[in-house]
This record gives sequence, structure tokens and C-alpha cells, in this order.
Amino acid sequence: MRYYELIYIVSSNVERKKNDQAMKEIGKKIQETGSKIINHIVWGKKKLAYPIKGNTYGTYILAHYQGGDNDKLREFDSWLKLSDSAIRHMIVKLDEKPDIVESLEEDKSENDTAEKGEDKSPDEKNPKKEENKDEENKGAK
Amino acid sequence: MAFQTRRKYCFFKENNITAVDYKDVKLLKRFTNDNGKIMPRRVTGTSAKMHRKVVSAIKRARTIGLMPFVDSGSE
Repeated sequence: MRYYELIYIVSSNVERKKNDQAMKEIGKKIQETGSKIINHIVWGKKKLAYPIKGNTYGTYILAHYQGGDNDKLREFDSWLKLSDSAIRHMIVKLDEKPDIVESLEEDKSENDTAEKGEDKSPDEKNPKKEENKDEENKGAK
Repeated sequence: MAFQTRRKYCFFKENNITAVDYKDVKLLKRFTNDNGKIMPRRVTGTSAKMHRKVVSAIKRARTIGLMPFVDSGSE
């Protein structure tokens, strides 16, 4: 048995009711394939990195499930592509059994491990040149 | 003073990370430049094994709209 992760985006223009409706509909479809749903949660509204079908914002919804019938799963994938409820989706195979998640944090506020290994000693001779030398500029070029 | 040798190190080995998740955009951003391009191993110093994982994670994140294919920098 394989474990899968499904992530899909629901247009954020739709009301919350329709959001839940889409989740219900997709959850039902997953169960129809003989899969067992482990997680089905809303990740949150996010700004898309590029517009998808005219949307700049979208609500991400994440689902984990244990795969059922292979042919039906393939059918489910193509159904999701045609359906209007999700503007984009992606199914990923998982290596191991996923944990049960209650909610996903928006952004982990971890300490910034600065990559600056160099000492910024105030050089009196050429303070202007010192400013231009940034590590990140090096990578950009 | 124009050139300084800097030790390259694998970010993942240093932090004991073994898996890369495409949902962790903050981590993946570290391996792209300002235009959203994936930086080469020779720049980031990542080990070959982890670089492959990073690349596939970035590509997945792009597909689902979490990361840009190309960032024009208008933001």
C-alpha cells in the first residue's frame, strides 16, 4: 500500500461555504477509490507565486491518504483536473506513513542563520566599497 | 580585499536535515537566486545527494504555485 499526499488550491474568491463543499466533494471522491483518508486539512490562504487561472490568492488544502485501487486513483487524478472546485492540484507519493496533523503553521519563525562569515569591521579607508560587497550579490550573478 | 576565500559547507549536513519538503518555501528560497533560478552546487556548496532533493522540491513547489518559475522582481 502506498501513501499519497494531495495538495490542491481552491480559489479564494469563493465563500467559505463553497470551500467546505469542495473539501467534502473531493474527500468523497477519494473514498470512492477505496482509499483511507488520514488527513484533510486547510493550510490557509496564501499569495500565489504567479497567477493561476486569473487568481492571485488561493486557499491551500492538504490531504494524506492510503492508496486504494490504482485505476480509480488515476481516474480521480484526471477528474480533479477537470473539476472546477480546485484550480490546481498535485499528488505526491510519500516514502512513509504520514503523521496525523492537526494544523499546519503558517511560517515557522526560526532563527535566521546568517550566512555572513565575514567580519564587518568598519574600514575607514574605503567605506563605500565595503557596502557593495555582499555575499548575496555574488550568488545572483 | 576583493577576494576572500570562504569555506563552503553543506547546509543540510550542518543542520542535520535529511528530508526536504516542497512545502517549506523558506528553506528552499535559500537555494534560489533573486530571479527564482536554482543556484548551482558550486555556489551553494550543498552535497550532491541533498542538491538532488532540493531541486525536485523546488520544482514541486513551482508546480503548485508556492514558488515562482521566474521572479521579475517587481515586488
